[in-house]
Amino acid sequence: MAFYTKYVVVESLVSELHEMDLSESERAHLSALIDSNLHHQIMDEILSSLSVDDKKLFIKLMEKDPESERLMEFLNGKVDNIEGRIQKVADELVSEMEKDVKEAKKIK
Amino acid sequence: MLFSSKKPHYEHLRKKWTAKHRSLQEKFFDKHSDVGRQIALGSLGSLMLLTTPNATALPGHNLVADSGQITRVKDNNAVLAEDLKDKVPTDMRSLSITEEQDIGTILTESFGFNVSAELQGKRLNRSYGLIGGEQHLYRYPGDNLIKHADNASDWAMYGSSGIAPGLGAWGYFTSSEAQMTSKDIMREKYYIAVQTFLAPGFSERTAEYRDFFKYRKMLLINPKTGQAVVTDIADAGPSEFTGKHLGGSPEVMHAIGLAQGPRKGAVLYFFIDDPNDTIPLGPIKVPEREA
Repeated sequence: MAFYTKYVVVESLVSELHEMDLSESERAHLSALIDSNLHHQIMDEILSSLSVDDKKLFIKLMEKDPESERLMEFLNGKVDNIEGRIQKVADELVSEMEKDVKEAKKIK
Repeated sequence: MLFSSKKPHYEHLRKKWTAKHRSLQEKFFDKHSDVGRQIALGSLGSLMLLTTPNATALPGHNLVADSGQITRVKDNNAVLAEDLKDKVPTDMRSLSITEEQDIGTILTESFGFNVSAELQGKRLNRSYGLIGGEQHLYRYPGDNLIKHADNASDWAMYGSSGIAPGLGAWGYFTSSEAQMTSKDIMREKYYIAVQTFLAPGFSERTAEYRDFFKYRKMLLINPKTGQAVVTDIADAGPSEFTGKHLGGSPEVMHAIGLAQGPRKGAVLYFFIDDPNDTIPLGPIKVPEREA
């Protein structure tokens, strides 16, 4: 589980996908894309908020243990309202992908 | 591996999200190339792989979906499998007391905590048996299958197992979503169902045995591969007529390499003596042995 997982809510998006006719491999494929897109967006938000030195330090901490709660402790000490910012970018991307799913459902 | 699909809705999403991914990646590496200079770009790329959930499925030009199967562990757990080879019967039968003691000793020495087929004078009907896949369990009133997924890949891997129509043996894990703790989440994630009703002494001292079995931790081992997971007892079953001796949650089946195909296989299941609740639930690796 990524250190930011609790700030990312994919329930509505997954509910939409759950209704689609997808094979196991198609489901896995799309899910991997969702998670990876969210990961890149969140990591970009985080690294963009840090100084170069703090970025390097943060990446070293991530290399040691990518699931550690210390990562959020570190970020909370460096960036104002980082949790809110992570939530915001995640929510925006999830909404975007949810719209894509609704659009896809209309295709025949 | 090239995908071809006759499902236009799937193709639409695949293309759109792959393009999005490419664009996010390019933007990411452009913006953060300053860090890339200090750490070799390969490392940063690897870091993205390491930290992306379900990293083996990181999309590329021709995306390969994650099969959802944990592959055979190539480390001390494989050594454990070798150690167990001569101790575990080749046919599916109950272990003798001597076999249980020998295996318990190997597991205790391998993992560094006490593991045994009998604990506090109580035991199950067997400690080596056939496990089958179970469904998710409702954790609180109003829970649903989608809420069990931490991320989209969780849903893809474990969602297809569905959710049991009834509650586990101990009822709900917690009274509401708001009160659910990480312990409750992990208890459901890594639960097993065992034949508590067949345990020697169960019918004579039901309440006492119920209290003993409730969320009792058990070490589950796939003896062929050494894959191991710390589980807890959260349900009773399966019925004897099924031919199976215990059941594992979707996450447990995945952790021991039995999530694909028939979702069935032979496993060892031994009690963990953990009075202070320090051993975390979930997949466990055999630590390096001190020289």
